[in-house]
Amino acid sequence: MSLPCGIRNYNYAQDMAILRTRTHWGLLIAILVILFTTPLYLGNYWLGVFNFIGITLIAATGLNILTGYCGQLSIGHAGFIAVGAYTSAILTTRFEMPFLVGLLCAGLMAGIIGIIFGLPSIRVKGFYLAITTIAAQFIIMWVINQWGWTGGQLGMTVPFASIGGYVFRSGPSQFYLIIGITVLCVFFAKNLVRTKVGRAFIAIRDNDLAAEVMGVNLTYYKLLAFFIGCFFAGIAGSLFAHWNITLTPEQFSFTDSILYVGIIIIGGLGTSVGPIFGVLFIRLLKEILTINVVPFLEDKLTMFPSGFASGVTPMMFGLVIVLFLILEPRGLAHRWNLFKASYRLWPFSY
Amino acid sequence: MDFNWGEFLQFTITGLSVGMVYALIALGFALIWKASSVANLALGQIVLISSWFTYSMLAQAGLPAYIGLPIVAIFALFLGWVIERFALRPLIAQPILSLIAVTLGIGYFLEGLITFIWPLSTAALPDLFPKEVIHIGSAVISQEYVWVIGICLLVFLALTMFFRYHRMGIAMRATADDQMAVQACGIPVTRVFSTSWMFACVVAAIGGVLISSIGSISHGLVETGLKAFSVVILGGLDSFIGAIVAGPIIGLAETYGGGYLTEHLWAGVRDVIPFVIIIIVMVIKPYGLFGEERIERI
Repeated sequence: MSLPCGIRNYNYAQDMAILRTRTHWGLLIAILVILFTTPLYLGNYWLGVFNFIGITLIAATGLNILTGYCGQLSIGHAGFIAVGAYTSAILTTRFEMPFLVGLLCAGLMAGIIGIIFGLPSIRVKGFYLAITTIAAQFIIMWVINQWGWTGGQLGMTVPFASIGGYVFRSGPSQFYLIIGITVLCVFFAKNLVRTKVGRAFIAIRDNDLAAEVMGVNLTYYKLLAFFIGCFFAGIAGSLFAHWNITLTPEQFSFTDSILYVGIIIIGGLGTSVGPIFGVLFIRLLKEILTINVVPFLEDKLTMFPSGFASGVTPMMFGLVIVLFLILEPRGLAHRWNLFKASYRLWPFSY
Repeated sequence: MDFNWGEFLQFTITGLSVGMVYALIALGFALIWKASSVANLALGQIVLISSWFTYSMLAQAGLPAYIGLPIVAIFALFLGWVIERFALRPLIAQPILSLIAVTLGIGYFLEGLITFIWPLSTAALPDLFPKEVIHIGSAVISQEYVWVIGICLLVFLALTMFFRYHRMGIAMRATADDQMAVQACGIPVTRVFSTSWMFACVVAAIGGVLISSIGSISHGLVETGLKAFSVVILGGLDSFIGAIVAGPIIGLAETYGGGYLTEHLWAGVRDVIPFVIIIIVMVIKPYGLFGEERIERI
């Protein structure tokens, strides 16, 4: 039930098109209009939340290409985001490069570091690769903590993003910058998996030996997956640096890496809408928890030592990840497809 | 500058004892991997939560060690049972990615739980071992290290005996070998899985208590649990001998590196050496020193 009734294909281009019907076009335009007028309805706080959602979405899309499509589990994504963030920060502060150069170099640098730590993926997979990426996370964070240029534990201050003299200082301007790049990245990812490269990734995920026998160059495509996934992470890191304007190593912890894996699992591995659902779910859950639940618990449960409620958010995240794996391993994207199918057949679902 | 033998001996003993604890935690990993092919990435958090529980029993409730430590062991057994029964049992025969991710989720949950119950950042266990130092030549060695090495060796011995002679141990080895055949023989595989989890948690808890009695309880213990993976990788995933040999190697590399390299490199080099070793082993010999090399077929 991927299409409504009565839609026929007359040529290959029609068959492959993402947007098939007038309704599709209408919905897409409506969503884009709503997205780009969001600053009119939301205050600065929620704009900040959505900026962060956009940044997380770019990183999660990258991880989805690497893990969801190519099957190479990476538990060091926060480390690669940190590489991007610090590359861009160092280039713009110490070398006074423009923001766009920093953004691009952040992506490339993270991609190259990703290839280096992805080298073991040629020989190993599964758990071994997961451990390698954990090691990558800790080695990267050690370098950032100790290297003089990154400011170590104290972190560094980064200027706001600016393009050609215009400085993205206010909430709405940052929103347009971040959401613009996010839309581009999601569009790129959606189309990437429809190309030869994307099909090679999926073949490697499903059975890498069979893919190799069929002539897919494993080394090239695995490293390419690492490059693309980490390139996205670097872009996200650079945007984060110029949006948050202070960088400290704690912002890229190992638990964040776990959270990124959780996000794409909750959304649905290997689906193009998965990361969007996952990021929205996790970030909005976090907002609900920090705004409503944590103060409530701090009020009611006074017998616990102070500061206990900061454990509620990680507890809920962990619980949600475990429950999704047990109850709906295909993620929210699968639910979304079920909803679309039943919507199209309504009211005669049989 | 002539070589300081006292310092060298001190590093050796420290490295050996830390390495033995790593090996112990790695055994906890190998137990589960051997029985059910599940990679337990929540190991660090299990080590941390059992150390905090020990702190509650011994320091906050003020129980003597001979009552408190058995309670900790029972807690660890219970923890292992709960994790296996409610998170891993529903996921039997799922792809490896889900199995890894579910243990990551459990780790995340436990980390929140730890902050929830014990919001302190660090704490110290009461002294479990005598404090007098031993003098060997010019070296000054704290007695705890020797105790830690001794206890680790005892646990290894007990586990080896268990796997060789006990019915359950034999059933576990059989399950690791061929799950289908074992089921056909009437061995309850699910019970083997849950026993392996319970044992693994107890072993990890012993490791946690030992390492936090040398140092202190802090969030760094999660990293200690992760460092134990370097032992697993170097020794080979499914090998007990590998863990026992690789543990001291990692421990020694860590303390020698921390002792002699810190002045040439950046601070904290000690903590990344195990992770660097992981990368090196992965590139050179991914199945470790004693691991079984699996040949895949389509």
